[in-house]
Amino acid sequence: MTAIIKQELKLNLKSMLIWALTVGGLGFICIMMYTSMEGDVVEMADSFSEMGAFSDAFGMSTLSIATIAGFFATEVGTVHGLGSAMFAAFFASSMLSKEEDGHTGEFLYALPVSRGKVITAKGLTILVHLAAFTLICGAFYAAGFTALGEEIPSEELIRFLTCMLLMNVEVASVSYLISATSSKTRMGLALGVSLIIYTYDIMGRVIPSMKDYLFLGPFSYVNASEIFAHMDVPKYSFTVAAVTVVLMTAMTYVTYTKKDLAC
Amino acid sequence: MESVIRIQNLTKTYGKKRGVADVSFDVHKGEIFGFIGPNGAGKSTTIRSMLGLIRYDSGSIEILGMDAVRDHEKILKDIGYMPSEALFYPAMKVSDVIKYAADVRQADCTEEAGRLCERLQVDTAKKIRELSLGNRKKVSIVCAMQHKPRLFIFDEPTGGLDPLVQNTFFELIKGYVNDGATCMLSTHILPEVRNHCDRAAIMREGHLIMADTVDNLIKTSAKCVRVEADGEIREYMYDGDINDLLAELSGRHIDNVTIEEPSLEDIFMHFYDGGKERV
Repeated sequence: MTAIIKQELKLNLKSMLIWALTVGGLGFICIMMYTSMEGDVVEMADSFSEMGAFSDAFGMSTLSIATIAGFFATEVGTVHGLGSAMFAAFFASSMLSKEEDGHTGEFLYALPVSRGKVITAKGLTILVHLAAFTLICGAFYAAGFTALGEEIPSEELIRFLTCMLLMNVEVASVSYLISATSSKTRMGLALGVSLIIYTYDIMGRVIPSMKDYLFLGPFSYVNASEIFAHMDVPKYSFTVAAVTVVLMTAMTYVTYTKKDLAC
Repeated sequence: MESVIRIQNLTKTYGKKRGVADVSFDVHKGEIFGFIGPNGAGKSTTIRSMLGLIRYDSGSIEILGMDAVRDHEKILKDIGYMPSEALFYPAMKVSDVIKYAADVRQADCTEEAGRLCERLQVDTAKKIRELSLGNRKKVSIVCAMQHKPRLFIFDEPTGGLDPLVQNTFFELIKGYVNDGATCMLSTHILPEVRNHCDRAAIMREGHLIMADTVDNLIKTSAKCVRVEADGEIREYMYDGDINDLLAELSGRHIDNVTIEEPSLEDIFMHFYDGGKERV
């Protein structure tokens, strides 16, 4: 199993680094933009916070974007949330299906390793790469704060990144199941699912009657403005996340171990 | 005789599509066993069932004395499998692929892999994406042989290999078989079966038509008959009483007739065509 983990880590390293440098780099640029916009941002903050439901949706009524923390939460929170969810979906959706899609399954599955172990090895690879992605992005954000001469809000940043990592794991678990059920790589479907989940959260924050169901989506506990404002996440959000990850993973094992491989 | 592979009443369907039905045969220890049949005959379905790539509906498969489903992982330790397509991860180097296969087996195969690469002239520094089909097949041979398994399963192994490498390949197989290994060879190429196999099985439309020694398959009582009569030529396999055949021919104006022992190709074509005469 260790050989498979090493192999997958090596095969996917380049892709992970490209995503991490892109998302982290974008976040860094956003932070650096704060100084150039500092003068205008106070006026903007007042108008943004008075946009009703839309201000709520993007967290601009929770935290003023005139502050560096508010600016980070609003801008980088969105970039990292969307970027990391898309990376998780992109990465996990091809992990199992690529063996059938690329016809390498006959090579891999004729080696003395059970499908269960392959699922575990590839699943662990996803976790390691998601954690590495989060750390690299975190380093970019910390560098951004330092470059501006601001104190790094360590506690909030760690909480923000930990919640993002959990959200990524949740999205990846859904995409991993998609990968297990299909013999073709369904990257488009997985990316679509991550965007739908994001849209669900935005709608949940804009439409008052949907607010009570916000906890069902993984973006409910990664709202950066709420994290930086030390607000509680919607009740049961983490429970739903844990149940989703366990359920999706169990279904991946059941589906893939019983599947006729089209390799 | 000790059976290394024992397949009994193997049945597999793909929804409404036929896979294999009620297939039974044994492969004995130390033999090279040919597995012949046209495309779609069920050869790959049988092999994939043996390797656990697909789940079969009924019947049983015993390999090296173990159950193919229950002891799947243990069995694969002693199998060297070469798929027909020989596809690997394109971005990997040949040396990395060979080492990866050994690492998953948790075995140090450096010495044997080196010997095989030298015999087959494999360039281990190249990337997989740079290789032709023939060169990928050579990598596949190394991956299948480097751990010196007790059972080899080859699916259309020689397609894409040049004649020299084909010779080396069969020399290598014979070397391992002399050391006690067993080999199952699925192929379309009948001279390979005639020249290298001890026994063979013929598959057609998901059914096993017959399994016997290659000598017995060739020494069948059926004759290859070619008759030129009344301006037409008929060629067919005849498996009945020779006197009945002569009686049937006696009432006609015969220009020419030849009755000869069939080749393995004739026998295969006879089963391939479903025993119909070919005119």
